[in-house]
Amino acid sequence: MLRRHFLKYGSVFAAVTTASLPSLLTAKTTDLSDAASDGDADFDLEIVDVDVELIDGSVVPMYAFAPVGQPPSIPGPILRVKQGDVVRIDLRNSSTRSHGFQILGQSMSAVTGLAPHDDDGEDKVRIEFVAGLPGTYFYIDGDNAPINRVLGLHGALIVEPSNGYADGKTRKKPMPYAPTVAPACLKDLFKALGEKTINGLPARFPGKAWEPGREYVWIFNQIDPVLCRRIAAGDNLSASEFLEEFHPRYFTINGLCGLDSAHDKATCPTGHVGEPALLRTMNAGLATHSPHIHGNHVFVLTQSDAYGAPVYQDNLFEHDVWLMPPMMIKDVLLPFTMPPDLPPAPWKMAQEKYPLRYPMHCHNEISQTSAGGSYPMGLVTDWHIDGPLATG
Amino acid sequence: MTTLYRPISDPLEFDTFGCHPFENDPATPDRTTRQVFLRRQVSDWNVNMKDGSQLQFWGFKDPDISGSDSPWPSKTIRVKQGQIFHCEFKPSKGAHTIHWHGIEPTPMNDGVGHTSFEVKSSYTYQWCAHQAGTYLYHCHKNTVLHFEMGMYGVLIIDPTTTSPDRNNPQYLYDPFDPASTTEAPGITVGAPYAAESILVFDDVDPRWHKLDHNAGMCGDDVGLDKFNPTYFLINGVHNGKTQTDTRTVTKATAGRNVLVRLANASYSKLYVTLEIDAWIVEVDGRPLRSNSAKGAFGRPKLLPKGTRLEVAVAQRYALWIPKIPRGDYRITGSFHHWVTNRKHFDGEAVARITAA
Repeated sequence: MLRRHFLKYGSVFAAVTTASLPSLLTAKTTDLSDAASDGDADFDLEIVDVDVELIDGSVVPMYAFAPVGQPPSIPGPILRVKQGDVVRIDLRNSSTRSHGFQILGQSMSAVTGLAPHDDDGEDKVRIEFVAGLPGTYFYIDGDNAPINRVLGLHGALIVEPSNGYADGKTRKKPMPYAPTVAPACLKDLFKALGEKTINGLPARFPGKAWEPGREYVWIFNQIDPVLCRRIAAGDNLSASEFLEEFHPRYFTINGLCGLDSAHDKATCPTGHVGEPALLRTMNAGLATHSPHIHGNHVFVLTQSDAYGAPVYQDNLFEHDVWLMPPMMIKDVLLPFTMPPDLPPAPWKMAQEKYPLRYPMHCHNEISQTSAGGSYPMGLVTDWHIDGPLATG
Repeated sequence: MTTLYRPISDPLEFDTFGCHPFENDPATPDRTTRQVFLRRQVSDWNVNMKDGSQLQFWGFKDPDISGSDSPWPSKTIRVKQGQIFHCEFKPSKGAHTIHWHGIEPTPMNDGVGHTSFEVKSSYTYQWCAHQAGTYLYHCHKNTVLHFEMGMYGVLIIDPTTTSPDRNNPQYLYDPFDPASTTEAPGITVGAPYAAESILVFDDVDPRWHKLDHNAGMCGDDVGLDKFNPTYFLINGVHNGKTQTDTRTVTKATAGRNVLVRLANASYSKLYVTLEIDAWIVEVDGRPLRSNSAKGAFGRPKLLPKGTRLEVAVAQRYALWIPKIPRGDYRITGSFHHWVTNRKHFDGEAVARITAA
């Protein structure tokens, strides 16, 4: 079985339903039925130099990953695999500089010092590994750290479970993790999703169970246009010089700012009450972000360890602000409940209409600016509750 | 070279998202009978800084209380879980909003310009908090500046029940089942307390306090990417005085329980350490307890004394100290740069709990 899972950040559903997106976005996640875990996952990536147009129309030089023959993007394409897959990633360097490649927390193998190719097509390198613990991982260019990564060479590798159900053989409650190693509280949460009543009493998450593929990837980054231009002009900054001088002026989510991210179907979560969504949140940059969501709290499900591997949480904190230091990855669950702080029945929401629109933004508000002003054209997106309770 | 172009957007929408948010004075939609009513207006005043200089601050004042013109942080609001809350807000000096941070009402009552509207002259916010805990309220207009200018206060939702323990009569939250010992392992369910310390940490960059109400909103570079704080405070008290000021020193009776509520209103990485063991019992208005039938999947977590707790910007934590022994305990906030993680010069502020 050969699968190529290139997906635009961050929603699978949005990607498959948006006709205007290029063809590379049309891949769909496989279902979580008992797929054989002897599959292959092959990817063919290229590193290129790009110019990036920012929210204010200014242009900065950066680097980007591209599936070979496809347009580049920052972040790079989502690499989606299944636990147990043999993953092969071929990499070619079409940039003017040397680069590297590694997947943090998943594979010990790393490519470093890959020279620009010489057009004969034979100078690819390959990383091969067996996909391990289900969860969210960074792939990056680890060379010249953190410069190449912050300048655009980062993306998400998603490992799906081969048998991801929270409720064992009943198989009505999918979860994005391996149930054999998931703590009880994590499984309990996914089991509770979609239940109208528990023990005969009204429960908190009526509607649908979480559905595989109902997820969004949010990758945060910061851009210092001065350093981008200096590096493109040939300035060989050391890592310590870069860290010392790094002064971000643009703050992005999936490479977008402000209105652009709020409009991006792959970034802005939408759905009805009772359609819980997974948010895979990642910080590729150097600043510590404090994402704050309005309308619903989120459950923090995983947190990456020092190597970048997911740690399934055995104590689920429910936050409206979650801490995202550099290179942190946290999967959080947005339950898509009715906003909880409405007057109780018999009050009804009648004059105010769906969709209910709420923002998610970093609360270190410096990140809400671009180029020294233009609030809120920074690290913000919206999410929408499109309508009342959906029932599974 | 390939250029990654930004998506095409409607110029009018771009303008209303950022530069010119929708301003309005609508009637409260789906307005119902209130159980709590209060008013807020906007005021500005000068604050004496540690070095003798004066800086302008903005905030919310309560027009029903005389002498409340210079509240920084703005006056704490306490209401009970389940009460229908109305706040009549009459801004002045341009449009403002109130965002009830952590409370999740309808978008019209959420106080965000680009998803609803900014209040031109009057609006009555309506919500009904379903969960006791620690929240904030703040202006969400040009938030990067207005939050820094001091337009925030603490919002506490108190539970409807009181503790049966006469020594510790306040509850942090209503227990699902007061008799349960598994619901919140490690602590007494409900986190009953007799003394409470509410600590909001902030940092101030004096340059920002000379900026205009709408500074930077329409594309001009006013330096809002440069934040160089030189003052560090708790509850508006300068770090030189936080160990003696009554606003930051909590007196407790030895042997009783103490609740510490922390919030980070700075733009720094904030590390908080206590000189005494404490239990994290609530995060962001959500008590930590285990009851999957009720939709709770956490449990209290011990924060051993001397352990650094990083509090994200605008995050809240409630810490519970059982039967505090006689003594004097410092609560130290350390402010670090949000990119370099270097500690700011003078970037430390220390509050105290004195148990006698």
